[in-house]
Amino acid sequence: MLEIRNLHATVAGEEILKGLDLTVKPGEVHAIMGPNGSGKSTLTNLLAGREEYAVASGEVLFEGKDVTELEPEERAHAGIYLAFQYPVEIPGVSNLEFLKASLEATRAAQGKEPWDAVTLLRQAREACKQVDLDPQFLKRGVNEGFSGGEKKRNEIMQMLLLEPKLALLDETDSGLDIDALQVVARGVNSLRSPDRAIVMVTHYQRLLDYIVPDYVHVLADGRILKSGGKELALELEQRGYGWLTGEEEASA
Amino acid sequence: MSVTANEPLNVQLKRQALALAQARLRDDALTPVRRDALKLLEHTEFPDRRSEQWKYTSLQPLSAGHLQREATGSAPLPAALAAHRLVLVNGRYQPELSQLPENVSLTRFDGGEALAAETTDDTLRTPFAWLNNATLHDGLQLTVADDTVVAAPIEVLLLASDTEAAHCHTRLRVSLGRHSKLTVIERYAASGPVLTNAVTELVAAPGSSLTHYRLQAENAESLHIGTLVIAPQRDSQVQSFQLMQGNALRRNDVRAILAESGAQLALNGIFVGRGTTHIDNQITVEHRAPHSHSEQLYKGMGGDSAKLVFNGRIHIFAGAKGTNADLSNNNLLLTPGAEINTKPELEIYNDDVKCSHGTTCGQLDAGALFYLRSRGVEAAEAKRMLGFGFVNELLAALPDEAVVEWARPWLEQALTDAEPVA
Repeated sequence: MLEIRNLHATVAGEEILKGLDLTVKPGEVHAIMGPNGSGKSTLTNLLAGREEYAVASGEVLFEGKDVTELEPEERAHAGIYLAFQYPVEIPGVSNLEFLKASLEATRAAQGKEPWDAVTLLRQAREACKQVDLDPQFLKRGVNEGFSGGEKKRNEIMQMLLLEPKLALLDETDSGLDIDALQVVARGVNSLRSPDRAIVMVTHYQRLLDYIVPDYVHVLADGRILKSGGKELALELEQRGYGWLTGEEEASA
Repeated sequence: MSVTANEPLNVQLKRQALALAQARLRDDALTPVRRDALKLLEHTEFPDRRSEQWKYTSLQPLSAGHLQREATGSAPLPAALAAHRLVLVNGRYQPELSQLPENVSLTRFDGGEALAAETTDDTLRTPFAWLNNATLHDGLQLTVADDTVVAAPIEVLLLASDTEAAHCHTRLRVSLGRHSKLTVIERYAASGPVLTNAVTELVAAPGSSLTHYRLQAENAESLHIGTLVIAPQRDSQVQSFQLMQGNALRRNDVRAILAESGAQLALNGIFVGRGTTHIDNQITVEHRAPHSHSEQLYKGMGGDSAKLVFNGRIHIFAGAKGTNADLSNNNLLLTPGAEINTKPELEIYNDDVKCSHGTTCGQLDAGALFYLRSRGVEAAEAKRMLGFGFVNELLAALPDEAVVEWARPWLEQALTDAEPVA
């Protein structure tokens, strides 16, 4: 589904990704861990098409097609979804208006039948329920005044409605208490299917207790240093990253 | 009429204005008003770009001869925004199209009765407003008696129309009695390249409460030079919302005079310019008495190569102790070709005041734009949504649902269309 080969990428002229390789097949769940500044968020934002992240060389193939030249909305229409680490507040635009615009454009591009207002509201309410978000949040400005946890649940709620093929979760667990984490994990797990893939970026092993990955990768200094099964995450939790990066780092 | 070669535009305009005023002189109860204004016009230069208040606005569009022809066209009436509506076409009252609630009385400025003393040339202060006085031949005063609450809003529709360059003068005065209450929706509509030279006065007697809307979504080729004077008296409250769409020339002079203590004014506005349109706001709030309060929030949005101007001045007089005055002007530029010139000015002559002002000019937030697009929303639609969100805060706060329902699609359209103006 996703094939990244020898990817080099820069942000504001600085090289952040330095030859990254990653292959994700349908049905798989991958976790990417690594120290701060290793390029984790750069990877997810780049995949979603953020302009400031420029591909210097290498390939990014999604379902066999190069996506590096696609606009962010075209990638969304193709089925790529990024759950933001810091969801943006947009005062004055209600969550529901936003969902309507998002779903109208995406469903049309995907050749799905449009939802009328009643269906949209019903589906949105259902999605809210799945992530324990009060449906009143649909009327509020997008993420406006939401707590950290509410913002993250709002991200998963939108993901449930958009049903992406490839979900990129950028530190979706940060700032969540254990109850919220379980709610979010339940939402993500409900999307797991043989034709979808999930790539989650996280600092913490605890997310992986609830969304169990097939593969764990360690990203450091712009490259995947080590890949393994879910047991790698436990090892990282105990030993830190120092033994991989060659730097001294206090183990957790 | 001969035109001297190379005669500066402001000289031409003055000559045209004087000719117009002289042609309108006649013998009736309004003669002194017209004569006084004519005298002032004779001794006043029309502005050009060298004048500080006209620095960013050229009167060049008026060189097409708008002042030389009176508008005579007609246009279909838009759907009403209120149960009671008064209609003026090209500045002339249309009684057969109008309907007034029983507890509001109406005076026409057609020469039958003298204009009330408050409407002096000194209050108006601009040559275009004096021209309005000098040519006064029709217009309306709405009067609400003391202790009267007018429950339903009244719409005043001011329609201007012609197929060629032409002008009309409109005059509206709203006068609230003591402890009375009224909502008035002043709404301008135009078709063709017609200039509306509008003067509106709001007088709120002690303890009264006025909600005023000034909706100005005229067509792109029209011109509008408007003067709004607001005079809230002791312990009265006036809230005034302005919605303005850019056109070939839009000038918005607002003067609020808080001359009695306890007067409260909320002045809010949204102005949106697209294409090659122009909007120039010149707003002055004068605190002349102790314990008066004013709040202003204006939001401007410019796209394409529109040009926007905002000059907001707060003047606090020496005797106006305990004054509260706030002014904010936030602007959003949708495209690199759009321009906004904004300047807050404070003149404070006593120490016992709470006063704040701020202006911002920004572009669309790149992070918010990416967020919307990453959810599949096309770039153009995402920009429209963000623009809408930017001003929606003000729309959402409007107390009258009919106005909000009218304003939302207006705004959607103003943000979508980028109709070029010839």
